[in-house]
Amino acid sequence: MTLTTSTPSGSILEVLRGERTERPPRDTEAATGLRAILEDGLAEARGRFTYSAPLVITVSNVVRRADAIDIARAPIGRLRGALVAQLVRLIAVGHHSDDAFDDALAAWLVDQPSRELCSALDDLDADARARLATEVSAHAATLTRALAPVPATWSVRTALRSRLPLAGGSVVLSDVVDLVIGSSTESTASTVLVDVTTSPIGTSTARLLRFHALVHTLRTSVAPWRVALFSTATGELASDDVDVTVLGAAVDDVLAVARR
Amino acid sequence: MSQPELTVRVMAPDALARVIGDAPHETFSVTDSNRRALAKRLGAVATDRHRRIDAWLVERGGRPATPFTWSPTAARRILGNGALRRVANSRAAALREAVRDEVDDRLSRAATGRERAGSLGAWLANRHPAELALVQAGAVDWAGTLADVASTVAADWAVASADAYYDVERARTTLRARRDLVIGHGDVVVRLRGGVPRPSAGPGLRADLAAATFADPEGRAPRRYIGVWPDAGVILSVDGTDANVRAGARDLVRAAIVLSCPGDRLAA
Repeated sequence: MTLTTSTPSGSILEVLRGERTERPPRDTEAATGLRAILEDGLAEARGRFTYSAPLVITVSNVVRRADAIDIARAPIGRLRGALVAQLVRLIAVGHHSDDAFDDALAAWLVDQPSRELCSALDDLDADARARLATEVSAHAATLTRALAPVPATWSVRTALRSRLPLAGGSVVLSDVVDLVIGSSTESTASTVLVDVTTSPIGTSTARLLRFHALVHTLRTSVAPWRVALFSTATGELASDDVDVTVLGAAVDDVLAVARR
Repeated sequence: MSQPELTVRVMAPDALARVIGDAPHETFSVTDSNRRALAKRLGAVATDRHRRIDAWLVERGGRPATPFTWSPTAARRILGNGALRRVANSRAAALREAVRDEVDDRLSRAATGRERAGSLGAWLANRHPAELALVQAGAVDWAGTLADVASTVAADWAVASADAYYDVERARTTLRARRDLVIGHGDVVVRLRGGVPRPSAGPGLRADLAAATFADPEGRAPRRYIGVWPDAGVILSVDGTDANVRAGARDLVRAAIVLSCPGDRLAA
C-alpha cells in the first residue's frame, strides 16, 4: 500500500488513473477462483445463517477500526460523512458549490436518507449545527482541491453499491464505494475505486482497500486496477494496486469474519 | 407443455453475450383466443379505476407500492436511458453532457408550460441546483452501467424508446413490460435492475415477458427476456416459451386479483 501524506498538486484522480501505457491487461481469471475459495470456506455458514437471515459482511466487519471509529460512529460524525459523500457525487458531475454545507444538505435530503440520521440532524442545537456546517465546509475545501475538476468524458460512477449473495444467499457481501473511475469493459485494467473518509487514514486501511477490491472483482468478474482511500481530514491518500495477493488476503479477511 | 424455467448466470465480461447468443430461435405466439381469454379473466376482476399491472406489482405479490413520488432514484432510469440514447445516436459526446441535456430539455419544457403537473419535468423545475446535480449523478450512474452492459453485447442493440404497453380490451387494465435494451429487432430484451434479485425476480421477468408478448402486434414472444442485476453481479433470464408466457400471464391476473381485494393485500 502506498500512503501519500500530503495532497498531491492537481487532481488525485489523475494521479490514480496514471498513464494508459502503464496499465496491465485486465484480469478476468481471478474472480472464478476467488469465488470458489469463498464458497468452500463459507460452506459451514449455510447451517448457521439462512437466505432470509443472512450474515451480512460489510467493510466495518472486516476492518478493525480501533482508530477513529468511535468518532466516526457518533451521530455528528455519521452526518458529516453522509454529507461529504453527497459532495463527492456533486463534484463528479461538475457541480460548483458556493455553499458546500447547504448543497450537501439539499442533496442528502432529496436522496431520502434514513430516519435515524434525519432525527440526529433535527436534534442538533444551533451551535452543533453551526459546527457541523463549518466542518463540512472544511472537508469540502479539501475534497474539491483533490478531486475537481472531473473531466466530463471520464466514465465515473458514484456511491456504487454492491450486495453479493454467497453460500446460497446465507452470506452477503455488502459494500458502497464513493467513486469509481473507468470501466471494467476495457481491455486493460482501468477501474479505480476511490473511497472518501472524513477520518484520518487508519492502521486498518489495507484491509478496507482490499475488501472494496474483492467485492468489485466478484461483482464484475474483472479485478480493478487500483483502490484508494482519501482522507478529507488530513489530505492523505492511501492506495494499492490490485493483484491476486491483495485479493487473496481479502478472501482470508472475509472468511475470518464468517468464522467469528 | 414445458415447465417455466429461469436461468441464472454470474456477471462476467462475456456472460451477457452468451446469454443472448444461445437464446432459442423458436418462440411462442399468443393467438386471438389467448387475448380473449386474458381479457375475460382480467375483466372478471373488479376495479373502480383503470389499473396498470407490471412486473413490479407481480414481484410485490399484488400489493401496490406506496404512492409514487419523484426522487433521484425514480428519475435515474428515464434520464439515464435518454442520455445513453443520445450518445448512441451521436447527439452527445459523453454521458455526463447527455444527462445534462436530458435535464435541460425537461426544464425548458417546464418553463414553457409543456410539462404537466406531476411529471418529471415539473418536479425537476422545482429542485435546488444541488438536488438537480444529485439527480444528474444518479442518471450518469445508471447510463454508465447500462453502457457497460451494452458494450458487452456482440449483436446490434438500441436503448428501448419506451416500455411496451398492452391495453386489455374491456378490462380497464394496461399491462406494462419494462425494457431498457432491445437486441436485434427486439427479439431479445434486457432490463437493468438495482439491488438484489429476490425469489420473486423470476415471476417478475415472466410477467415482463407475458406483457411484452401481448403488446406485440403479432403476439410474438421475445426469444429471451433478460434481467441484469449489476449490484449483485447476477444475470437472470427467461425464454419466450409457452410455459413462461402462460405463467407470466397467470401472475399478472393474480396480481390484479390481490390488487382488487384490499382486505387480502397484507395476506398476499
